[in-house]
This record gives sequence, C-alpha cells and structure tokens, in this order.
Amino acid sequence: MSLAPGSPPAVEAHALVREYKGGIRAVDGLDLQVAAGEIYGFLGPNGAGKTTVVRILTTLLRPTSGDALVGGRSVVRDGDAVRRLIGVALQEAAIDPLMTGRELLRMQGALHGLRSKQARERGQNLLERVGLTEAGDRRVGGYSGGMRRRLDLALALVHRPQVLFLDEPTTGLDPTSRAALWREVRALNDEGTTVFLTTQYLEEAEQLADRVGIIARGRLVVEGSPTALKAQVGPPTIHVELADAEGAQRARSALRGLGALEPAGAGGDIHVQLRTTAGKAAIAPVIRALDEHGVQVESVEVQMPSLDDVFMAVTGATLEGASSNDGSPSSGDHVGEAVPASRAPEATTAR
Amino acid sequence: MSHGILEREARVVLALGRRALTVQFRRAQLLMPTFVLPLMLLAVISSGTSAAVDLRGFPDVASYLAFMVPGTVVQGTILAGLTAGIALASDIEFGFFDRLLAAPVKRTSLVLGRLCGTLGLAILQSSFFLLVALAFGARYPGGAGAAVAAVAIAAITAVGVGGIAAAIALRTGSLALLQSLFPFMFVLLFTAPAFFPRELLAPVLRDFSVLNPLTYVVEGIRALLNGDAGLGDPALGLLAACLLAVCTTALSTGALQQRLRRT
Ligand SMILES: Nc1ncnc2c1ncn2[C@@H]1O[C@H](COP(=O)(O)OP(=O)(O)O)[C@@H](O)[C@H]1O
Ligand SMILES: [Mg+2]
Repeated sequence: MSLAPGSPPAVEAHALVREYKGGIRAVDGLDLQVAAGEIYGFLGPNGAGKTTVVRILTTLLRPTSGDALVGGRSVVRDGDAVRRLIGVALQEAAIDPLMTGRELLRMQGALHGLRSKQARERGQNLLERVGLTEAGDRRVGGYSGGMRRRLDLALALVHRPQVLFLDEPTTGLDPTSRAALWREVRALNDEGTTVFLTTQYLEEAEQLADRVGIIARGRLVVEGSPTALKAQVGPPTIHVELADAEGAQRARSALRGLGALEPAGAGGDIHVQLRTTAGKAAIAPVIRALDEHGVQVESVEVQMPSLDDVFMAVTGATLEGASSNDGSPSSGDHVGEAVPASRAPEATTAR
Repeated sequence: MSHGILEREARVVLALGRRALTVQFRRAQLLMPTFVLPLMLLAVISSGTSAAVDLRGFPDVASYLAFMVPGTVVQGTILAGLTAGIALASDIEFGFFDRLLAAPVKRTSLVLGRLCGTLGLAILQSSFFLLVALAFGARYPGGAGAAVAAVAIAAITAVGVGGIAAAIALRTGSLALLQSLFPFMFVLLFTAPAFFPRELLAPVLRDFSVLNPLTYVVEGIRALLNGDAGLGDPALGLLAACLLAVCTTALSTGALQQRLRRT
C-alpha cells in the first residue's frame, strides 16, 4: 500500500475556505500539502479550525471555496473516490454505545464492501491489533475513553486506507493509552499509511509528526519539521540548579564562555540558565566548569525549544493559553509519559 | 449500475438494517412504545368497548378482538416508522451518521438501510401482535396465509411511515422534533378506521379517512384476517402501502441529498 517516493501528494489543499452560518470563517484560505507516507501533525488550539479541515478533507463538509485533493481526487467533485482511499477517526468517536466492538467492526467491513466472512476475520484481526479481543463482545457504552479511541482507530483501518485522518486521537486520554495509540500510529505509518493527525498537544506533534503545520484562526501560520521549527526559535537552554545561592555568582562566571547566559530571573539566586547550540553535548563541559569553580550543583537539565515556543513566536500567544485546556496533560507534573514536552527536560543529570 | 455494485450496496443495506434492528432491541425507550404500547391500547379498548359490536352499523365479526387487531398492527407500523426517524435523528445528533457518510457507499443505501431495519422490526412486531391477540382469544378465519399477507402489508406500511420520519430527521436533524411527533400517531390512527368501522366515524373524520392511506391498509388487513371481503380490499391495502413506501422513500433520499448539499 505504500506509495513510491516522488508520487503525488497524499493531501493537497488549495485556498480552502469554510464559512459557517453566522459568518464564522473557520478555515480562512488554507494551503497545505502532505507527502505520501508522511505523518503530518496539524497543531492548533481549540477552535483553530482543525476539525473543520478534517471534515472537508474527508468529504463530510463542503468547502465554501477552494478545493482539496486526497490521493489526487477532489473532495468536492470526486467524493466517492476519496472515501475509498481514506480512513477517519473523528474527534467525537462516532460509536454507537449499544453496539459491541465486534458488531461495529463487522458493520464497518460491510460498509467497505467486505463479505460477511471477510468482515468477521478482519474484525477479529483488528481487535487483536488494538488489544480489544477481550472486550470485543461487550457493548461500547462500557468502554473507557482509551478503548473507544482504539476501537475507533480499528474501525478506520478496516479497509487498509492509504490516508488516515485522526482528529485529536488522544485528547482526554491517560498517558498509557496515549502512548499505546502513538505506537499504533507509528506502526501504521511504517506500513506505508499516510497519517494526517490533528492535536492540541505539542508533545504529540513532536513525538509523531514528520512535519507540523500550526493553525490558528483558520490559517496556517507556520509549517515545517519539528526540528526545523524549533531551530527558528533558537538554541536549547541548559538549566542549572545550584545547591545554594552563594554559588550563583561563581557559576555565572564559570559558564560565561560556554554560551549565552540568560539574565537571572525571579528566584534566580539558585538557578542559572545558559543558551547553547551544543544542547546535550554541553552538559559535560558545564558540569566540569562548575566543578572547577567549586560550585555545588543540584541538577542540570537541557530544555529543547518546544513547539510552544514556536507558537508563541509566530502568534504571540501560548498554545495552552489560546485553548480552553480541557484534559490537557501539560500540567507540569513529571509523571511518566505525561511529562509535557514543552517543559520536559531532554536530559537530566544530578550530582 | 453493474451487478457487482448492486450486490455490494445490498450488503450495505442489510448490514445497516441489521444494526438498526439490533440497537432497537437494546434501547428500552424504543422497545416500550413499539411493542408494549399498542398492546396496552388494544387491551383497554377491547375490554372497555366490546359492547360496540352490538352497535348498529358494526359489521358482523366473529370477535371484537379480531376486528381490533388490525388497528393495533397499524398502530405498530406508525410507531415502528416513527422510531426509525428517532433513531436516525440520534445517529445524526451523536455523529454516528458521519461514520456512514464517510464510507464509500451510495448515499441512498444509507436511507434504505435504515428503512430495511424498520421493515424487519415491523415484521417481528406485527407477528407478535397477531400471536398475542390469538393467545387472548382472537381468531383469524382468513387463515395463516392471510395472516402472513397481513404482516407483509403492515411491514411495507411501516417503511412508508419510516420514510416520512426519516425525511423529517434528515431535514431537521432534530431528535426533539421527532419525539414531539408521537401525538400525530393518534391523528393518523383515528382518521383511519383503526378501531371502528368507517361508518361509525364522525362525518369529518370519515372525509379525512378517505384521504388517509392507512384507512386502506387497516381495512385490507381486517378483510384478510377475518376472511371477509366485505370488510376491506387487501389489494387496495397493498397498493396503498406500496405507494406510501415508494413515495416516502423517495422523499427521504431526496432529503438526504439536500442535506448533503447544505453541509
Ligand atoms: N457547525 C458549526 N457552525 C458554526 N460554527 C462552527 C461549527 N463548527 C465549528 N464552528 C466554529 O468554527 C471554528 C473552528 O472550529 P473547529 O474546526 O471545530 O476547531 P478545532 O477543531 O480546531 O477546535 C470555531 O470558532 C467554531 O466555533
Ligand atoms: Mg476539533
């Protein structure tokens, strides 16, 4: 199913506009391209227009003007051909609570032209794939959020789509479920499926996406690989936490030669920050220099510039601040995978 | 359309019909009105007014219950049709319909699938009513074949009512509106001679009853079950049911096309 390199884009949008009744321009002149085989992360706060774009690309909504091609077929003029190529898991998992997982998969199989026996087998395989074999005969109404999402994903995969659309697939999920879904998305992509994924989570886009487009108020404000976007913002920062405030002055002079020292902020007495393109590679020299100057260090952390910083740089607002922040994992507590990428230490050394 | 495509769409219609029926039986608030309510009404009317058989103008029937059952069956068809609309509206409201719309199937099949479920429901439901009434002493002089024919006419009628309800659901997408339509059932029911012969209806109602396709359905089923051609014309009943079903199915597929143009 994987497409040869150099094949036409999996998704293209040209001057896409969608105006809702009441004059809301949810999508306001969007151009984008997603290469075949890519994971494209469509990142933006609540209300930015992500769902509207997904609904247009999956033929569920007509653009007010402009057009989009999926697999080279127009979503406006050739909806049926597009529907054959795509799988979609909508933001509100469109699942009937009174049906069982297995029943839904069988129905979805029929919708995609599978015969009853094929649909049953495919359903069984997919239940195994997403770890719902046990729950397959239970009604979906009793599933947890994570189980619903996994079932929704399985449903989207029944016909082995070329292009998979996932609208906020992990919103509201616990870290374990989120990680499981990420693994699945990566595996699908490795098998050649192009993935168009929307998210409010910076971490998710950084973790999964080959390329990220940031959308705000219906417009694409910036686009590129997570690395390239972060490079626009500036070099990583090394945070040094000192054992006591007395060492602060000595620490600053010790580190002067290793990069650009950030001005000491509030509580700067025991914190020193250094910006350096060396990133992680600077950890050893930093510790050595501090040691040589007899500075007692509590911890050293490298903080990579995050997509949040990119968003801030291009829109002047933080992603979290711009969204209603429902169920966002970016609460800052360092628990397993819930560590928000925006503030997560890339490497931590303590002494 | 090639044979392969037709077969494929038929599978889709059957799968959706099956799903509609499965869910119907799991949703108590749809099951109560479709299976229990008509029987309760039958019990009340037949016990309270069985003396009506002695009224002048009342046809000579073996039992009042047998005369009444067609009314119950037709009431069931109206309810089955209405619940089709309700289920469709809730599919739209809760996003399940989007799943169907995102699939590469003929848009018409999505409506037909829903109505296929209604057809199945009405077959089960009217057979159930006939059997319960039988257990309570109703007799069907028309015989088993006639009973099967009656069930068939009832099922087609249910599709006809379902088509209207589905069209309303697709036009408005409003679950609340459809739920508020239940009282209309009684208008349809009492302007058809569901529980009394046409001759005993008030003149205004009698004029209405001529226009109400359910009149011919009720009378046709009544004639079949009682084995008495004087009570109605089964062929006319079948014709009315089929015309209704064809027209309202067209209406609802039209409503879907229009909905898709609007979105
Ligand atoms: N059906 C609708 N009718 C009117 N406005 C809508 C509708 N759906 C979304 N909107 C508005 O369009 C904008 C974009 O919404 P949406 O695409 O859902 O954003 P996101 O998915 O990024 O949260 C929001 O301002 C939202 O209120
Ligand atoms: Mg959304």
